[in-house]
Amino acid sequence: MSDWISIPLVGLPLISSMVLLAFTANASESARAKMGDSIRWVTLAFSLAMLAVTTAMFFGSLESNMLDWSTMTFGSFNFEYRYTWIESLGIHWSVGLDALSFPMVWLTTFLLPITIIATWNEKNPTTYFPLLLMMGGALIGVFVALDLFMFYVFWELTLIPMFFLILKWGGVDRKYAAQKFFIYTFTASVVMLLGLVTLYFLQPDSALLYSGTWTGRTFDIPTLISHAHLANTEGWFLGESMQKVLFVMLMLGFLVKLPSVPFHTWLPDAHVQAPTGGSMLLAGVMLKMGAYGMFRLPLAMFPHALEYFQLALMLFGMVSLVWGAIVCLGQTNLKKMVAYSSVSHMGVICIGIATMQPLGWAAALFMMFAHGIISPMLFAVCGAFKHHYHSMEIGAMRGMAKHSPWLATSMMFAWMASLGLPLLAGFVAELMMFLALWHFIAAEGWSVLWMVGPALVLALTAAYYLWSMQRTIFEGGDETQPPASLHGEAVPDISDSEKFAMIVMAVFTILFGVMPWIALDMMHGWTVTFFETILAPSIGGA
Amino acid sequence: MTETTIEPFAEGFVMALAPEFVLVIGLFTLILVPNMGDAKFRIPLTQIRIPWFLGGKRGTLDRDPRLPGLFASIFLTVSFLMALASFVGGMERVNITTANGTELFRVDEFSRMFEVIFYGALSLASIASIDRLPATSTADRSLSGLYNNRRQVDFYILLMTCGLGMSVVALSQDLFMLFIGLELASFSTYVLVAFMKETPEGTESGMKYFIVGSVASGVGLYGLSLLYLWSGSLQFDGPGGLSEAFRTSGMEPLPLVALGLILVGFGFKVSAAPFHFAAPDAYAGATGPVAGVLATASKAMGILGLLRILLVVASPENTEGSAVWLVALGVLAAVTMTWGNLAALGSTNPKRMLAYSSVAHAGYMLAALTAVGVWSEDTAFADDASMAVVTALIFHLVVLVCFKLGAFLVLSILESEKGGHTLESLGGLAKREPLLAVAMFIFMMSLAGVPPLSGFVSKLLVIMGIVKVAVGGALVNGGTLNFSDLHWVWYLALLMVLNSAISVFYYLRVGLVMFFHEPEEGREGRLPSGKSIRFAVLACVMTTIYFGVGADQLITVCQSAANALLNVW
Repeated sequence: MSDWISIPLVGLPLISSMVLLAFTANASESARAKMGDSIRWVTLAFSLAMLAVTTAMFFGSLESNMLDWSTMTFGSFNFEYRYTWIESLGIHWSVGLDALSFPMVWLTTFLLPITIIATWNEKNPTTYFPLLLMMGGALIGVFVALDLFMFYVFWELTLIPMFFLILKWGGVDRKYAAQKFFIYTFTASVVMLLGLVTLYFLQPDSALLYSGTWTGRTFDIPTLISHAHLANTEGWFLGESMQKVLFVMLMLGFLVKLPSVPFHTWLPDAHVQAPTGGSMLLAGVMLKMGAYGMFRLPLAMFPHALEYFQLALMLFGMVSLVWGAIVCLGQTNLKKMVAYSSVSHMGVICIGIATMQPLGWAAALFMMFAHGIISPMLFAVCGAFKHHYHSMEIGAMRGMAKHSPWLATSMMFAWMASLGLPLLAGFVAELMMFLALWHFIAAEGWSVLWMVGPALVLALTAAYYLWSMQRTIFEGGDETQPPASLHGEAVPDISDSEKFAMIVMAVFTILFGVMPWIALDMMHGWTVTFFETILAPSIGGA
Repeated sequence: MTETTIEPFAEGFVMALAPEFVLVIGLFTLILVPNMGDAKFRIPLTQIRIPWFLGGKRGTLDRDPRLPGLFASIFLTVSFLMALASFVGGMERVNITTANGTELFRVDEFSRMFEVIFYGALSLASIASIDRLPATSTADRSLSGLYNNRRQVDFYILLMTCGLGMSVVALSQDLFMLFIGLELASFSTYVLVAFMKETPEGTESGMKYFIVGSVASGVGLYGLSLLYLWSGSLQFDGPGGLSEAFRTSGMEPLPLVALGLILVGFGFKVSAAPFHFAAPDAYAGATGPVAGVLATASKAMGILGLLRILLVVASPENTEGSAVWLVALGVLAAVTMTWGNLAALGSTNPKRMLAYSSVAHAGYMLAALTAVGVWSEDTAFADDASMAVVTALIFHLVVLVCFKLGAFLVLSILESEKGGHTLESLGGLAKREPLLAVAMFIFMMSLAGVPPLSGFVSKLLVIMGIVKVAVGGALVNGGTLNFSDLHWVWYLALLMVLNSAISVFYYLRVGLVMFFHEPEEGREGRLPSGKSIRFAVLACVMTTIYFGVGADQLITVCQSAANALLNVW
């Protein structure tokens, strides 16, 4: 197999974006203005090339001997590749794709060109588009990393382009938001780092197979998982209390990123202030890093701790779900509402994980994917709204259906998709989560009252989406006037590039709503084997 | 591995200490060359005049005010390269021992590594100062302007004596030699800090730094003399040396008091709380490159002294149980890192901010040093763990030169337009000088420990060292490891990561101001050019990134240096 990940998916975006940034850094204002268009096209071409690579990966046309995605099991990887990086510490550049990471990687490469197209006319294109590209490369790096060190490096690297995206193109309070975003997530991840390092040293001496390295230990994730598995099944080395502490330290990093209430407060600020493109990638992919990290590390390594903290995790999920939805009802700012709806949806992922059922985990995985397509569309709509009406207030525009039919239609579609309309992608995930939760409650004998929260949220979600839609799109009928914030200018509709981006996102929302098995097959296969190989032997049952 | 023992000034002595001799030659060159002129000496009672060359009207070449800077940079760089080259193809270890068996110097990987740090930092500071000093003075033809040009020579001579003193500390095997080197370096830095004596801050910082520094040295010297009084030996190691005295005599109050006093002396050098009070003032009043030297080379010297005293003399193996200084140093580390970070949060002067961040970094290093004290048994694991920590410390000191000094150099460029003392003077740097702003941002991120920069790797290594020690008990004894089995130094690692989370706040603020504030009134446009200082900044950026992405080689070298100190071959 040749290395289809490192160069085209990680190296290309990171290096080309740095080259582009360095190239334009010292150019004069006028030269930069001229370069704008070519930079747009270059970044679009690169991102489309990346999309082509991941799509070819999906159809299996890159390698003849790769594993079939839909039958992939836990612990097997496609396109696995390994180079020595820092030999003395047992650090490798180690990449690979499995059924957990591949949907996320494809999603990133899918969203990157969409984001570029949707925000085609963003100001300062010479730095904006390379930053988007860098963001994409760093995100893919997180998902493909099979080495803890590399994982952490990319995990932190994603902060820097996002920090600049918020700062440079953000709203009025962008400084506060960008700092809050950076400090919040950095704090959580340094705690996670200490957990990772402690984990690194908790490989038993008898397993010091890596005599080539100075510490005799490795950062290789699959190896660490197998060591932890031995500890779980044969009572070997890692004690219960140690596992719990490590679980908490790792989960802290991931829960803040997800984000779950009460660690969510950075998200609304970051979203409201971030530019449209930043929001689209932030909501679409970056939040999923949290859920991805949970599946990749703590869930696979510390099933006992997961069992111990199951109730806490369920509570985190429930509170996020309900609290997010309640706060949404009170929002007057369109983007803030959408941001809190993200918190609510991430609660679904948390609940799915807490059920400790294959179905629940598959629901969480599918939610990650579906929300990754829908939420960028929500933010694209918000961005277009802001761009055309110079306001984010829900009441600022009335009767949008008359003035900007395209935007109104896109908004309606995105809102419907997010509230879980059947035949759209979000519905599948929510339905699965409900089934898993029911199944879990029945099997474990928990109180039916646990269903109250999700049921309430179904109604609340419909309420805040429909209410905001009614106030924005329909209210006032044909007599409405364009909002005062336009100062009498003609009412515009969204541009052609925005229309194109909306259509593509809508098409894929429908596609994965009607034929969810395209993505669900591999997720399901992966979770089932996860349970068989990791969870069942250590905690029994499933 | 060859090891030879020679007497001072015997055959091979000069070759063994070649980098130091280059510096000595450089010192004489600096003193002589700028004074060369067409002076003639008239033999009394005759009319015969012999050319004498010293004094008189200077030639075109040696009249150039940049000449001393050029010479100092060349000699320091040559010394740096020589120290570096000794790592290529296996180090030749040399002991310099007097005829009666007193070991004075030891040339090995450890001392050479520290020389690399010292000469590296000093040559960067010297290169950066070539443009830096005249930028304030050559333009004006007033008396003080001319006077400043005269002082160029003094500045570079002090830089070189500083280097010489530091390398004596690195080489010394003897309390007396250690103190000589320490004082030579300290006195040079006292004057360097006060070099801008015309400014109020310069005088203030020089005075403060001198008074606090000399008191600290005095206290340290008293400690050293108590050790001598107790053991009757000045030698660190070897038969009848201090190390043996600790091993044989067990716990006694006198050496403990001595250790405490020595800790004060070196605590000042590494700017550990509560001995750090002079540091922010000193850094703020000194020029950028000098402040950078204080924060890197001078700090490395302090850590070096602590390593020698705590690990060789009072090593944990020499005393019962854990090292006697374990708890004291642990508390010192915790207080230092927290105090430094909290104080940095409130500083609006970027140099003071960097000074407090350097206090915080001292705390991280002391935390690592604490971890070495945990292991008392002389086992393979204990050696391994100590080596991991010492390697991390040395690595940290090396990369600190890259990004800490680099940050001071960027501020130094701002100083040439009377800026750099307020955060606002950095405003709009991204618009004025995009590459400098990016460089500064990289330094800040590296200080905060953001991957993949070298600051991250060094922090990771320190954390790894501490954690390795903390989980050690279970690793050695086998069995299941529970959380309560962790040694308490693990909490130092936890405190360290929490502190680095706090530190992001003030590092990020610098980036914020550079990229998103408008330039101050009267600070638009490009900064005064200065090729050599920009070159130094570039070198810092490149190494900051390189040692982060390709840390492997440096780790291996640091490891061999740690081996040389701990003798665990």
